[in-house]
Amino acid sequence: MKNNYLSTFAGSAICGGFAFGIWPELWKTYGLMGGWLAATLIIGIMWYMNHYNGAISNPEGKIWLDQGWCIGSAGIAWGIVRFQGDFTAFFLAVPTLICCLIGGALAGLAVWFIRHKQAQGKEEIG
Amino acid sequence: MSEWLQTYNELFGMYHAGIITSIFGAFAVSFTVLLCWPKLVNDFGAKGGFIAAAVIIGTFWIVNHKLPGYGFSTGLLMDAGNLPMQFSLIHQGARGSAPWIDMGWAIAMAFVVLDLMTVPKGTKAGLFKEMIPRWCVIILGGIAGGILVGLTGYTNAGL
Repeated sequence: MKNNYLSTFAGSAICGGFAFGIWPELWKTYGLMGGWLAATLIIGIMWYMNHYNGAISNPEGKIWLDQGWCIGSAGIAWGIVRFQGDFTAFFLAVPTLICCLIGGALAGLAVWFIRHKQAQGKEEIG
Repeated sequence: MSEWLQTYNELFGMYHAGIITSIFGAFAVSFTVLLCWPKLVNDFGAKGGFIAAAVIIGTFWIVNHKLPGYGFSTGLLMDAGNLPMQFSLIHQGARGSAPWIDMGWAIAMAFVVLDLMTVPKGTKAGLFKEMIPRWCVIILGGIAGGILVGLTGYTNAGL
């Protein structure tokens, strides 16, 4: 179990670091297509490492923890260290963070509702 | 109505319109990822994951995060009130000077909510408890990576 935590920690640190070390540079250099390229390279490779090869531990049948968590927390830590240099700057970001979490939760509920209705429909037909 | 939308909310550090677009942007990307990403991986294996990263995240990055500048311009544009203009659905707080909030938060939250809703009743609390230590490790890992990359700001790299 301890080994899982170690690989989870390493995987999320690399993922968060990559996202904010590379993404802004590619975007600032190549504009829109740089951002698109960054998504392909960073998210593609990091997803392959973290989720396809299981660096972030996600046991079967348990709640899925996405690499989005580590990219999100890395964004805040990177912003504070790189630009603000002051931990209290975190509170400036809280409203946006809450908006994001609300939007994500709504999407989770919507997808659950769609699947729920589909399953009910199948039961009625069968 | 349009006046209320244009008002800059000092408490939240966002325009009122920005609050609405942030929630919508987070919803849109999470919904698409939840419905498409697992299916793409099922259909094409690892290749499907790479396709999903490019097509879903790449495209939604443009609409959610492309900031600032217009089109291929990477320079900062100012609006009439001399605030940086944000051409993005997810509005960065405090006139763009708050730490970066990524759409990853929304996607990750959506997976947790969907799984919590899908599991059989009675197992929710146990599964949630099982999740907490893993969640803390992931968040701490992200913070460590973010700090380490942020340290480049102290090396006079001028990036």
